Amino acid sequence: MQEFLLLIRNEVTPKSNLSPEQMQHHIEKIGAYLKQLAEKGHMKSAQPLENEGVILSYKNREIIDGPFNETKEVISGYYHLLAKNLDEAIALAKKDPRFEEGIWRIEVRPIKKVEGIN
Amino acid sequence: MQSIHTMTENQKKETRRLAAHFFRNEYGRLVAVIAHYLGGEHVETAEDIVQETLAKAVSHWEIKGIPKNPKSWLYATAKNLTINVLNRKKHHRTYISIKTKEAFPTNKLEFSEEVIEDGLLRMMFATCHPSISEKYQIPLVLKILSGFSIPEIADAFFTSNETINKRLVRERKQLRKVDFDQFFEKDIQPRANNVLKTIYLMFNEGYFPSRKNQIIRYDLCLEAIRLVKLLNGSTAIQDKTNCHALLALMYFNCASFKSRISKKGTLQTLKQQDRSLWNMKLIQMGVQHLRLLNMAQETSKFALLATISANHCMAQSFEATNWNEILSLYDRLLLLEDSPITHLNRCVALAYVAGNLKAIMELNKLKGETIIDNYYLFHLTLAELYQKEGENTMAEGAYRKALELAQNSRDTLLIEKKLYKIVPI
Repeated sequence: MQEFLLLIRNEVTPKSNLSPEQMQHHIEKIGAYLKQLAEKGHMKSAQPLENEGVILSYKNREIIDGPFNETKEVISGYYHLLAKNLDEAIALAKKDPRFEEGIWRIEVRPIKKVEGIN
Repeated sequence: MQSIHTMTENQKKETRRLAAHFFRNEYGRLVAVIAHYLGGEHVETAEDIVQETLAKAVSHWEIKGIPKNPKSWLYATAKNLTINVLNRKKHHRTYISIKTKEAFPTNKLEFSEEVIEDGLLRMMFATCHPSISEKYQIPLVLKILSGFSIPEIADAFFTSNETINKRLVRERKQLRKVDFDQFFEKDIQPRANNVLKTIYLMFNEGYFPSRKNQIIRYDLCLEAIRLVKLLNGSTAIQDKTNCHALLALMYFNCASFKSRISKKGTLQTLKQQDRSLWNMKLIQMGVQHLRLLNMAQETSKFALLATISANHCMAQSFEATNWNEILSLYDRLLLLEDSPITHLNRCVALAYVAGNLKAIMELNKLKGETIIDNYYLFHLTLAELYQKEGENTMAEGAYRKALELAQNSRDTLLIEKKLYKIVPI
């Protein structure tokens, strides 16, 4: 089994226009997907991120905390998954029902491992 | 690998299902309790806080799964947001004098069942207050208490988002004038009856949508039932007769939901319906409420209507319907409410008891009344009676009049079919 980090990107406020009933529908659809990931032993952890924070960068010999929301898109959370290989990880990510709504982008990255050290 | 397994176990526990309409339900409860603390004139702010709370929940749960106790998760979040708003307001007040409740100690903010129930009751009373025009009460109830979005309300009433928005703005202004806090023991009963009246209209809008080709708006009917159940559960209301009566009526009417529409999507008359599709569980629930009601002495409009529905639900077949009993119930209803619609419904029963001609005679007496003369169902009923008596010319005229007045394709289709039987073109 290999580990993967899935970075979830979406727009800053994508869900504010949904009605309570639609929100529930959305959550339940995704709940079923998450449950499946967990039951099949793929889900190691998952966390949402707040829509705030800073981006630090080094410029002219000093660290500046640049404007955070430069783009409409932010990383809103991550999944830490276990999968056989990159193909399987991609296949799992593709099943995310949020793709049907088109408000979702996922970056799938294998976590680097060096044999005998980690 | 051990740690991975325990992790998966935890995750499993975290992904649960939510109760049906959980978000919609909690929306109303939270708005009610927050408005209770912010003051009735800030209902809109309360709605914004709740919408933000739900959006926060979604962005959290869509990654972590649904938490073990979603309710307390929502309440904690809503409480924090409310405290922020209250603090901001306190700050504001030193500059602008907005009329608010006296500075509220935020540590006293309590979202207990008791406070929520109380807030809900006040909100129901306020949204169904007689100073708010009757036809605008339903959108207001749907928005504030039921968490329907503006497009959902517009859809339920077959109108545009703009229209609903305008109505809501106007009625919210009126709502600000309604005193949320002052109501006395003696006001509770009449106010509760106002709420029931509004909910009954809401149910009917779902049951017989007046416009467009939507057969039954289940959602509205179910929401109406949920709201009456809420009222029925309130300890502040002593006399639950009307609650039980309306619940019984709604359960009986909902029982035939499945058989009211044919496979082709057309509305089925009572006679055409397949009674084996009727929902026995709902009929049982109706019966239970009706039993509680029979202990009460007084008869009300809802009680009579529920008993009429019960008679239809209990009949093994259309032919086995106890029309005598139904007619006498309509007679009693007329004593309470002498409306043309009640007369019209009574005449249907009268035709089975005393013959079609007698019913036709009675119906023709109503013709002068503009409300009934402009109602397609009046002419449709008349047409059917004429047809049964072989008076095809009279029947045709009445069918054409009904066709002229019908407002949706569901009704026109039904009438055209009947007309075709006597005048095949």
